[in-house]
Amino acid sequence: MGKRTHTMTASATFPADTDLLRQMRSGAADAFAALYRRHQGPLYRFALLRCGAAEIAADVVQEAFMGLLTGRFQFDPLRGQLQHFLFGVVRNLILKLEEGRRRYVALAEDDDEDAPELPDDQACPLGRLLGNETAEQVRRALSLLAPHYRDAVILYELHELSYAEIADVCQIDIGTVRSRLSRGRAAMARRLVAWHKPDMVQA
Amino acid sequence: MRKTDDMEPRDPLFDAMFDPLRSEMDTLDTPRGVETELMQAFARQFPRKRRWYQALSGTDWMLGGSVAAAALALAVAVPMLAPPARTGAAADGGKSLLARDDDGGMFIALDSLERIEQEPAPRMVETEVPRSSLAALGVPLTPDNAGDAVKAELLVASDGQPLALRLSAVN
Repeated sequence: MGKRTHTMTASATFPADTDLLRQMRSGAADAFAALYRRHQGPLYRFALLRCGAAEIAADVVQEAFMGLLTGRFQFDPLRGQLQHFLFGVVRNLILKLEEGRRRYVALAEDDDEDAPELPDDQACPLGRLLGNETAEQVRRALSLLAPHYRDAVILYELHELSYAEIADVCQIDIGTVRSRLSRGRAAMARRLVAWHKPDMVQA
Repeated sequence: MRKTDDMEPRDPLFDAMFDPLRSEMDTLDTPRGVETELMQAFARQFPRKRRWYQALSGTDWMLGGSVAAAALALAVAVPMLAPPARTGAAADGGKSLLARDDDGGMFIALDSLERIEQEPAPRMVETEVPRSSLAALGVPLTPDNAGDAVKAELLVASDGQPLALRLSAVN
């Protein structure tokens, strides 16, 4: 296994998430703040790579925690880690947004040519946030993957989730995770090689 | 964390390709405003119970303050004005001469309770008594304080007969 110098997923820390959740439900604001600070980073980064827009990523993270607070999203500790549960919540919220947008686009194209433009994901592109050129190229290749491949690649490569954990987050079986990951990585590699071909020819 | 039994061998080139993106992404966090909004939502979800003193209005505080001040004045004045026989051991008919009163001072009945209660016009005289002269009445005496004088209030009958003694600064 290649050595990882960075991990984008929070490691096991104390107090445990379940203890903080219990305290949060009994009204302890500091427990809620601790949960948020522990998990917001990985969730935001996942959402950001998944949808490419900082504002949408922030909204989605906020909605996920709001749902945790109000009980709209019920976490069952017997079914895994809180962070993986929240990854699933964030993913579903993004899917819902994408679904709504697709429907809106279809309606607008059919019925109303003067309809206002949709909020543009590229209005605040992640590329602007990334200073490193290689990082930006990888991010671009990732963004061009089909969403279901992108989920698997982000969770595996950047958040170091196992196949089983990705299967749980995405509600698919492990075989599907394996194939999506393999195809996603292959597609990314092809794209990156193609972008570098002119440089290689010149060299 | 990833389990070893469901991993495929990693491609070092692919790993190296993702490293810059990992490094760049690690610096990104949710904007601070999100936490602020969430904590505000939490406060709405779990409103803090107000303590009893937070529920009082300014008028309530003024009224309460006046009542407390009056009660304090009464608490100080009543023991001074009331017949001393009501406190301590003197109240048990003079069986014991020495008692502590509520203020920590020492009360010494010099006559019986009946005599003190029946006195029509007692008066209070402030004086100082040599501590050594009070040793026989049970006042603590040490070589260090033997030469001291003790402040006292003497309850005197209309005929000049001393009825009781209150030592306000024994210790």
